[in-house]
Amino acid sequence: MAELLKSFVPVWLAYSTAAAVNAALLVVLALMVAAVCNWLERKVAGRIQDRLGPTRVGGRFGWLQSVADGLKLLAKEDLIPQGADRLLFRAAPYVSFCAACSLYLALPLADGWVALQLNSAVFFILAVAGLEVLGVILAGYASGSKWSLFGAMREAAQVVSNEIPLALCALIPVMIAGSMDLVEIGNRQEGWLTNWLVFHDPFTFLTFFVYLTCAVASVNRAPFDLAEAESELVAGFMTEYSGFRWGVFFMAEYASMFVISGLAAILFLGGWNGPVPIAQWLGLTRDVGPLAAWLGNFLGMCNMLLKCSLGVLVMMWLRWTLPRLRIDQVMTVCLRYCIPLAAVALLGAMWWTYMWPGGW
Amino acid sequence: MDINWHSFFFLLVALLTCAFALAVVISSNIVRMAFYLVLSLGGVAGLFFLAGADFLGGLQLLVYVGGTLVLLAFGVMLTARAPLVSMKTAPGQWVLAAVVGGCLLAVLLQVAWSVGQWAGPGRPGVLEEEAKPTAAPLGLGLVGVRVDQLDVDRRADLTEKEKKAREAGMSGYLVAFEVISVHLVVVLIGAAYLARAKRRVDAPLARPPQT
Amino acid sequence: MALQRSGPETVEFDVHTDELLVNMGPQHPSTHGVLRVVVRADGEVVSEVTPQIGYLHRCAEKIGENVTPRQWIPYTDRMDYLAGMNMNLGWALTVEKLLRMELPERARHLRVLIAELGRIASHLVAAGTYGLDLGSFTPFMYCFRERERILDLFELVCGARLTYSYITIGGVTADLPPGWLEECEAFLDQFNPVIDELHAMLTSNAIFIRRTAKIGVLAPEVAIDYGCTGPVLRGSGVSWDLRRDGEPCYTKMYEGYRFEVIAQVDGRYPQDQKYPPVPAAAVLGDSWHRFYVRMLEVVQSVGLVRQAIERYRRSPPDCGEPIRITQKLPKGEAYLETEAPKGQMGFMVISDGAAIPWRARARSSSFCNLSVISELCRGCLIADVPSVLGSLDIVLGEIDR
Repeated sequence: MAELLKSFVPVWLAYSTAAAVNAALLVVLALMVAAVCNWLERKVAGRIQDRLGPTRVGGRFGWLQSVADGLKLLAKEDLIPQGADRLLFRAAPYVSFCAACSLYLALPLADGWVALQLNSAVFFILAVAGLEVLGVILAGYASGSKWSLFGAMREAAQVVSNEIPLALCALIPVMIAGSMDLVEIGNRQEGWLTNWLVFHDPFTFLTFFVYLTCAVASVNRAPFDLAEAESELVAGFMTEYSGFRWGVFFMAEYASMFVISGLAAILFLGGWNGPVPIAQWLGLTRDVGPLAAWLGNFLGMCNMLLKCSLGVLVMMWLRWTLPRLRIDQVMTVCLRYCIPLAAVALLGAMWWTYMWPGGW
Repeated sequence: MDINWHSFFFLLVALLTCAFALAVVISSNIVRMAFYLVLSLGGVAGLFFLAGADFLGGLQLLVYVGGTLVLLAFGVMLTARAPLVSMKTAPGQWVLAAVVGGCLLAVLLQVAWSVGQWAGPGRPGVLEEEAKPTAAPLGLGLVGVRVDQLDVDRRADLTEKEKKAREAGMSGYLVAFEVISVHLVVVLIGAAYLARAKRRVDAPLARPPQT
Repeated sequence: MALQRSGPETVEFDVHTDELLVNMGPQHPSTHGVLRVVVRADGEVVSEVTPQIGYLHRCAEKIGENVTPRQWIPYTDRMDYLAGMNMNLGWALTVEKLLRMELPERARHLRVLIAELGRIASHLVAAGTYGLDLGSFTPFMYCFRERERILDLFELVCGARLTYSYITIGGVTADLPPGWLEECEAFLDQFNPVIDELHAMLTSNAIFIRRTAKIGVLAPEVAIDYGCTGPVLRGSGVSWDLRRDGEPCYTKMYEGYRFEVIAQVDGRYPQDQKYPPVPAAAVLGDSWHRFYVRMLEVVQSVGLVRQAIERYRRSPPDCGEPIRITQKLPKGEAYLETEAPKGQMGFMVISDGAAIPWRARARSSSFCNLSVISELCRGCLIADVPSVLGSLDIVLGEIDR
């Protein structure tokens, strides 16, 4: 884009405009994900609970419900409790949201279609995903209430502990693919369903489910959502947050849910490569020409978005079906079950790649 | 007028980092200090990213901001009582701190300026250089391979004795890595020991008189 | 996961921590009403729980000294408002005991029918809100959907969904409308699969078991000491149900009905039907057993309702006549406890010969059930307090009156 603009405006303006547009697109993607997930959550919750969910705003399926919710949140009174630390109270939601949004920088949606192709992308995503907890801690402290502090403490312990098995599980596809670059890992799974890393060996298959569990725990979704537990701490660290600030926290949660599912999709489920190589059949590969390549990538992107959405749907399904685990039970699951399983899977996958380096 | 955006953002992030670091020192509320430190170290991570060291930047975020500072914030939050929430520093201490800090800054600046490669403006074409993979050399270094000196034995001007001496010292960072690991294990064990519960059985309490 | 304190022993930590005084309520999503629970906790481990009540006190008993018994029936509705029919029944039976009234057969079967439907409705709320307290949102919706159907039936009978004032002294205010029995049977026919769904989502769910098994274990002696009744008592293994073991004035209402008292006797629950098995993790007297007793009682009540429908159909069409509002009460006193869904609800009426009683008193089941919470919560985690509270199934309207 910068090249295109260079002919009209001075070079520095061209680059800055291109950068600004790219950045805006990325933020818009994160916001759109949050808005769609909000609507989807209410519909899915409704259907699981044998009712319809929103059906009035924007037609029969309530498409514009997210917009209505957003407007409502904006119009609410801006409350800051008296004992709160004003600066930190204001800043906390945005810390979480920035962490969640930055994840989209490294998430590829198709071959080469990524904002920043980092060669340590997996590492970057895991590192930034652990930053959200800072926003939570600040929120818990800054609210000036014991309940919020409790909720923040529990959540911080949970997220930080779950980073370990999450990283161990993410390490296995990285080891098999030989690179931390997500684009490379995705390209390695080109072709049929059997090329997917989840079917590479039984240990990776096991790892996928351990990863799912740790992923759900690290984004604080049920059954690991005690930080937002309504029945125990009112709303945990978010008790004192109302209106738009609460909305920002929730957008951060949905955005990170989407990225964690995306990471699972690329690491285990083939990313933008489908169960069947449709793009190859239709002749939309790089060898044919740039337009064909672009169309092939577009199909891949749709495939990738579908997989991310499936992951998000599974998380929502879990939330509305299962009760909540207590904090010590969550930590037990993480420390006594997930970490040993992930470690065993790592050793097994290492052994497998040693025995059959070219695949089985 | 042509703005080198890379330098612009580098300067901006560097300024922010310094500003937040100053805020840590100047602030009187300990929790806010922790928050500014978070932002400052996040700025350092940004500097790493801008310098092309993606892995180091990620590592900075993971270890410092996501680990150490979370721990710090935890401890500060849970123990922040009134005297810590508004800390006052005596003016004499300000002067002393300024003098010591200023001397350190002067020494660092003098050293930095004396490195020839860093003194001049950016070389032309530096922006188009591809960032080299930053994870592999680090990994190799940690297991004992000195990747920055791999081409040593190809240099023709070294004698056999010098080559052997060099090889003998090429143990990479393996020893340092292992020492740190053992150190961490000791720290963990110590922490667990400190936090354990000691049970001690008292003499049975006197029974209340039967009425 | 409770800390066991065995004998005089001091537990010392090298790192000194302070105890935290945390306040739950009176506005709180899971205290089942306006209840204030002050929790003294050391980090996560609770050392003492003090319930503070009185936020819903409406001077019902004082009002009972100023209105006639029939006029006091709406006040009983508002005590356990989730089982209003059973409250009405308790007071009506008490005054009938004082008046030495005999009711016709149809009124008796009708009362069993309505009371057992009320029991199902109350237990559905208990189960649904218990799931909600533990984070399971969907069973709440399912339970309330079924409860809506029962409330629709009640609305057809007396015109109200929550505060019925239907069962009155001398019988009921009006007989069942035509077609009601068929609707009731239709409801019962589609209700059994829902119970199985609830078992799958709650009773047999591994996470639910982890949250409720071994939590809040109530020994039978402690339960009897504190005066706990109903599912709380039966969940600890004491086989005591006033419908079988109570006073003749009450038990003759259930004469001839076949039902099992749900309590674990000799290590086994009644085997008259296929119930989900008791998991190995659950200990007799814990929250899981109290929940299990309620779920099984729902099945028993369904059977009772079916039997009542049969007998109602076969009985002569005389539903009894409510007494005159200003009927004078004979001198004397009467106290009767009935088996309400939440426990034994007792009503007492003391009369000095006038139409207005000298004293009207309600003995609340939830009051005694709640009093045991400080015993149950000692040593558990803060997250277990809603779990224990939910398993006791209290309603503040009854406690505060």
